Amino acid sequence: MRELTFEDVTVRFGSRRRGTVAVDGVNLVVPAGQIVGLVGESGSGKSTLARAAVGLVPLAAGQILLDGRPVAQYKTRPLQMIFQDPYSALDPRMSIGASIAEAMPRGAADRRAEVGRLLELVGLAAERAGARPDELSGGQRQRVALARALAGRPEVIVADEITSALDVSIQGAVLNAVRDLQRQMRLTMLFISHNLAVVRYVSDIVAVMRHGRIVEYGPVEQVLLDPRHEYTRELLDAVPRPGVPLGT
Amino acid sequence: MTAATNSDPGELMAAATKAISAGGAGKRWTGALRSPLGITAAVLLAGVLLLAVVAPLIWQGRAEAVQSAEILQGPSSAHPVGTDLLGRDILARVLVATRLSVGLALLATAIGVTAGLLLGTAPVLLGRRAGRWIGAFINIAVAFPSLLLALFFAVIFGVGAKGAVLAIGFATAPAFARLTQTMAATISGRDFIAAARVAGIGRLRILVRHVLPNIAEPLVVSATMSAGAALLSFASLSFLGLGVQAPSYDWGRLLGEGLAQIYVHPAGALAAGVAVVLAAMAFNLAGEAVARAIGLRSAQTHQRTQKAPDHEEPRAEPEPEGPEKPLLAVENLHVSFGAVTPVRGVSLTVRKGEAIGIVGESGSGKSLTALAIAQLIERPGRVRADRLEFLGTDLRERSTAHERTDLRERSEASERSDTDDHSNTRERSKAMERADMPERSDVHERSDVRERSGKGERSSARDGSELNKNELRRLLGTSLSMVFQDPMTSLNPAQRVGRQLAEVVREHQGADRRTAWRRAVDRLAAVRIPGAERRARQLPHEFSGGMRQRAMIGMGVMANPALIIADEPTTALDVTVQRQVLQLIANIRAAERVGLLFISHDVTVVGQVCDRVLVMYAGRIVEDLPTDALLHDARHPYTRALVAAVPDMTTDRTKPLAVIPGRPPDPHDVPAGCPYAPRCPLATDQCRRQDPALTTYAAGRRVACWHADLAPAAVPDNRAATTGGEGVVPDSRAAVNGGQGAGPDNRAAATDGRPAASDDDKTDDQIAAPLGGDRA
Repeated sequence: MRELTFEDVTVRFGSRRRGTVAVDGVNLVVPAGQIVGLVGESGSGKSTLARAAVGLVPLAAGQILLDGRPVAQYKTRPLQMIFQDPYSALDPRMSIGASIAEAMPRGAADRRAEVGRLLELVGLAAERAGARPDELSGGQRQRVALARALAGRPEVIVADEITSALDVSIQGAVLNAVRDLQRQMRLTMLFISHNLAVVRYVSDIVAVMRHGRIVEYGPVEQVLLDPRHEYTRELLDAVPRPGVPLGT
Repeated sequence: MTAATNSDPGELMAAATKAISAGGAGKRWTGALRSPLGITAAVLLAGVLLLAVVAPLIWQGRAEAVQSAEILQGPSSAHPVGTDLLGRDILARVLVATRLSVGLALLATAIGVTAGLLLGTAPVLLGRRAGRWIGAFINIAVAFPSLLLALFFAVIFGVGAKGAVLAIGFATAPAFARLTQTMAATISGRDFIAAARVAGIGRLRILVRHVLPNIAEPLVVSATMSAGAALLSFASLSFLGLGVQAPSYDWGRLLGEGLAQIYVHPAGALAAGVAVVLAAMAFNLAGEAVARAIGLRSAQTHQRTQKAPDHEEPRAEPEPEGPEKPLLAVENLHVSFGAVTPVRGVSLTVRKGEAIGIVGESGSGKSLTALAIAQLIERPGRVRADRLEFLGTDLRERSTAHERTDLRERSEASERSDTDDHSNTRERSKAMERADMPERSDVHERSDVRERSGKGERSSARDGSELNKNELRRLLGTSLSMVFQDPMTSLNPAQRVGRQLAEVVREHQGADRRTAWRRAVDRLAAVRIPGAERRARQLPHEFSGGMRQRAMIGMGVMANPALIIADEPTTALDVTVQRQVLQLIANIRAAERVGLLFISHDVTVVGQVCDRVLVMYAGRIVEDLPTDALLHDARHPYTRALVAAVPDMTTDRTKPLAVIPGRPPDPHDVPAGCPYAPRCPLATDQCRRQDPALTTYAAGRRVACWHADLAPAAVPDNRAATTGGEGVVPDSRAAVNGGQGAGPDNRAAATDGRPAASDDDKTDDQIAAPLGGDRA
């Protein structure tokens, strides 16, 4: 269990003068063993923040700490990420078992058994380790991606829109798996989604992001029942509610 | 980064991977070999390579035996293509030269491919900044003429084979590097590379394990083809005297020697030329065949043969006809691609001003249904239907239409003789403008419909099917509008938005450029695009996603449509933008009494926009119900499970989400009986044997399930009774779990506050305000 902290994190794309600031001085704490849901519209910088956390995007300023130590100083990778598109997240030329094994720390003993265990953990049969991604459905692939993230024995998982490419009947299964595993393994998790209902269901804490900044942060119930920021209210109003007329 | 640490799982997985891939790959390659192209390429290539190995062993002596008695002889039985200046047999020399020619070409290709691979993959290894420099270098190198390079190397290494090989090799490299770099960059952008990086895998291993295997196939094709090109280049260099020097000889050199005597005996020069052409063709055709084989992989999956459906498909009960003639009437619609039928017997009607939602998961056939109605299914797809009528016009393929007499009667009834489209559409527009006076507009609408069908028939009688098709196209172009999911791909990125909108009326109504442009600006303003005049002159990429979608809707209402088909129109949009777009659609529908067919995977969105919902599963409608019954009173177990599986703002956070076990049936192999039976908690033997038909059980409600009565109790819903949206804390849940009994109460609760379907009342919301502007 570790606490993930973003301290004044700024990410800039392009040159200093003409580039755009995708993440603008973000301060965010993901408490140990909790799920922080990050919501915001496309272009608000939430995916960039996620990629910055796992080192895929360089920081222009600020730092990302894990229990007070910069993430980059850790020898083993304590952070893992799950991506949005399950069709692009697995190498089509590799069996899913090989994909999972690849993410394991070096010198791990009995990889085969571990691959099987991880597959069972996310609700797939261990015998399917030899299957290639194109034999799996989107939801199954996303569960393999989850297993691969867990293979790195992470303490923090960053999940970036992991259900938005999935059908609703599958979305539920993936969300359940994420929640169960997070609780079992007491993972710290940054859960990014544009879907407020999904974030509400999964998260303990909600952070609302807009134009590269966090505009509201607090426990789920508080933020969603009693939003303080105008933008949060706008977002909440826009959530489709069946049977509620559009005009209101 | 060492291979050793990873060898054990690699080995473990390798066996399994091979076993799986071998079957598919093997089939692919034998398939490619069986084609005429594959056979030719294989035979030629095998011949060339065999000659390269064998020829010098057999004919070396003969090729180099100087026979002063037989100088410059023409073709004879001893020397089939004659002899050269020293009396050597030219055929033997050409055959023997195969080894040197092909060998040097392959060597040059190897150098080029290696250098190209190193250069092209360097950006992956060295990171972004160094990659940019390498990219710039490749760009310059690509532009560098290869002949100049050859001369350059000739200066350095002296004229000879060595310089020529290097020159051709390095001349091939930049193009190959560019290809490698582009493809590697595409693969590097994929998430699995990011995942590997997050997992701490080194760049070299990422390159070897992830990037190269995924770009290998096109690279092999390209390398094979460049071998052919290298052969030609080498021949020309030797021909120019920059390549192989005497006493060695290759085809280029033989060609050069033969050319001097071309007037004495042409066969001597031609033999080498033919050899060059054949060998180059062998390489190029082989490359082509390999490319086809790779391409075949995607094509072959569609060519699976399917057994004939071994079970009878039940026919859905059509909806009872209302007093008003429906805008759109579809009965027993089938869409098939080869032997696969993803849409199997869909029946639906849309009336004027009605909003019908179709929900279903991907692969349920909902989008294909929409495309079939809009006549957008392309070959090899086939559309069959017992009835497919839009505004009273039969949309089916002419050969299947058999109500011509009916149409003719109607055409006689309408005695209008004008064929001018202008007046026709103007008439329609006027009718639309008077939409606030329902009776009158109705009359107009009907006469209009009649007029259309009458006209269609007349023209078909006169000019055959060609004009008829045009009429149909115009009817669809003006009266039916389609809004797609991704506005970026449905707008032409190279054309100004206003012009694209204007094209609709110019094409279908013959409006002049100015009128069309004015209307385009007017429509953009109507869909609440600020600064419409300025925006109309912009290109699609200058619009935001929401604006693009609104522009698409603007395009849809350019010609006063009677029906809008929206296929996941808001799926790619943010929630706030989604709301604006939904409001816009709802408003257009209310203001102009346009029918709406709204397709979505999102139960909540459909619930907000539509009056009635059709739930599709495995290519057919399994339930048809009013929207307010969707959440709590659905009767099909699939509908109930689908609704329960979607978390909303009232879902109980303490319980796991409801899931639907299993996965939808493969359209290639739909099981007998109810397609949902394998996933259904209520499935009995009857379900597995007999496919239930869509039957009416109450007014406006149809369901296709043997156990519809049991469904509410068996699949409890997941929602709080209040749909007001305030209940974030799931306390009010207890009321819902009563199963069957809960239905009607909740329905009542849900119905509260819902506007009547065709209520024209405007909200004071800016976006929901009625469309303005002058018409046509």
